[in-house]
Amino acid sequence: MSSVPTATYGAPDVSEPIVFEPGQQIHTTNGRTTQISDIVLKAGGEDRDKPTEAKDTALGQLRAQLTTVQDKVNEFLTERMKKEKEDKTDVERRILDDGVDEDDSD
Amino acid sequence: MTVDLDQYAKPGKGYYLALGLEGSANKLGVGIIKHHLGQLSSTNRAEVLSNVRDTYITPPGEGFLPRDTARHHRNWVVRIIKKALVEGNVRGTDLDCICFTQGPGMGAPLQSVVIAARTLSQLWNLPLVGVNHCIGHIEMGREITGAHNPVVLYVSGGNTQVIAYSDQRYRIFGETLDIAIGNCLDRFARTLMIPNEPAPGYNIEQMAKKGKHLVSLPYTVKGMDLSMSGILANIDQIAKDLFGKAKQVKNKQLIDEETGEPITSEDLCFSLQEVLFSMLVEITERALAHVNSNQVLIVGGVGSNERLQEMMKLMIQDRKNGQIYATDERFCIDNGIMIAHAGLLSYRTGQTNDLWNTVCTQRFRTDEVFIKWRDD
Repeated sequence: MSSVPTATYGAPDVSEPIVFEPGQQIHTTNGRTTQISDIVLKAGGEDRDKPTEAKDTALGQLRAQLTTVQDKVNEFLTERMKKEKEDKTDVERRILDDGVDEDDSD
Repeated sequence: MTVDLDQYAKPGKGYYLALGLEGSANKLGVGIIKHHLGQLSSTNRAEVLSNVRDTYITPPGEGFLPRDTARHHRNWVVRIIKKALVEGNVRGTDLDCICFTQGPGMGAPLQSVVIAARTLSQLWNLPLVGVNHCIGHIEMGREITGAHNPVVLYVSGGNTQVIAYSDQRYRIFGETLDIAIGNCLDRFARTLMIPNEPAPGYNIEQMAKKGKHLVSLPYTVKGMDLSMSGILANIDQIAKDLFGKAKQVKNKQLIDEETGEPITSEDLCFSLQEVLFSMLVEITERALAHVNSNQVLIVGGVGSNERLQEMMKLMIQDRKNGQIYATDERFCIDNGIMIAHAGLLSYRTGQTNDLWNTVCTQRFRTDEVFIKWRDD
């Protein structure tokens, strides 16, 4: 029996813990969120540091599934940080500018 | 009296083996070292079983970003560890401890490598030893060169320090007040779009050999310390004026006053090296006078620069019985073996890190470490 990796996220403002599972799709070690930075590629660099492909063994599958879970966690956290920043900016604007955007006022 | 280094030896085993993992900047290094029982001496030297390194290289004009450097280390660390074990002909379970760089360095790369160290420690049930990167350089330099109690000039991409040992601490006599010397050279290499392979500093050194004219640059020694950011800003501006590609700017021409020949990028590399290295030699000489020593040991990546070694030699030759010690790129440039060596010295005096205490830190000064293995 092979074990399936999961990740659980909890925070004071999250009522139910959020569980991330790899799911049924095809898993690879080539994660969406763990690629080389665009800035390096744009400067003419090439990616010589790709992870090795997953072997068809229990450990290999675990590596690939873990990469999928990591992608899901990364995307969730990025979204959450983005939202938190937007909320904070809204609050600041409300308090400091009384909701009036100075650029638009005249 | 000397420190007993064999209190923690395994019964029936005549030697120690340690694996060291280094990844505080753009080099990922794994090394395996062997110490035989007893004090290290000229007849009982540490043995390097393997010392494997892989460097994260960026395109010309670009530095290495923490995120991509950490990714390089994560994706190579297993392959490099396997290679080091095969080269050293060592099985994981033969080891006595796993040593890792705990700081100083870049956060993300350090974090990536310590995860590998923790994993190996749990996999093979071995103690972990956190090592200060600078102490790794100093101890490996001493071991390789046989320098007993030198003043140490530690010059690299992230550090510039003049260090002397006293009372179980490596004490900092002088240091940079802003950027490190290697950082200054690397950033100038970026301005000139010099390739980062094999190393930007190496390429500057080669260009400097062809330079003939000394361009006037600020000389900024502040007591025992030095400052290099102003020199970089100054030479960057000269380079932009001479070779900048901005369309609206007509490039100036700078002429050498004595010969009337135009200043080239090689001349700038030469001038930058001459000024920076003179500053280093000055503070090192003053430290020698302070501690009444006549030995200098140069460690760190910039220490492999032959012009720096030559200038230091000129200074040391004027001192009575003056001796200079330096190592080649295998041990100067960041590597895993120095972490294994310094970590093993810690281990032999009973200093190990519990799992909770293996958090890496970007700021970790050389003089924070208690040198339990020396009592001279």
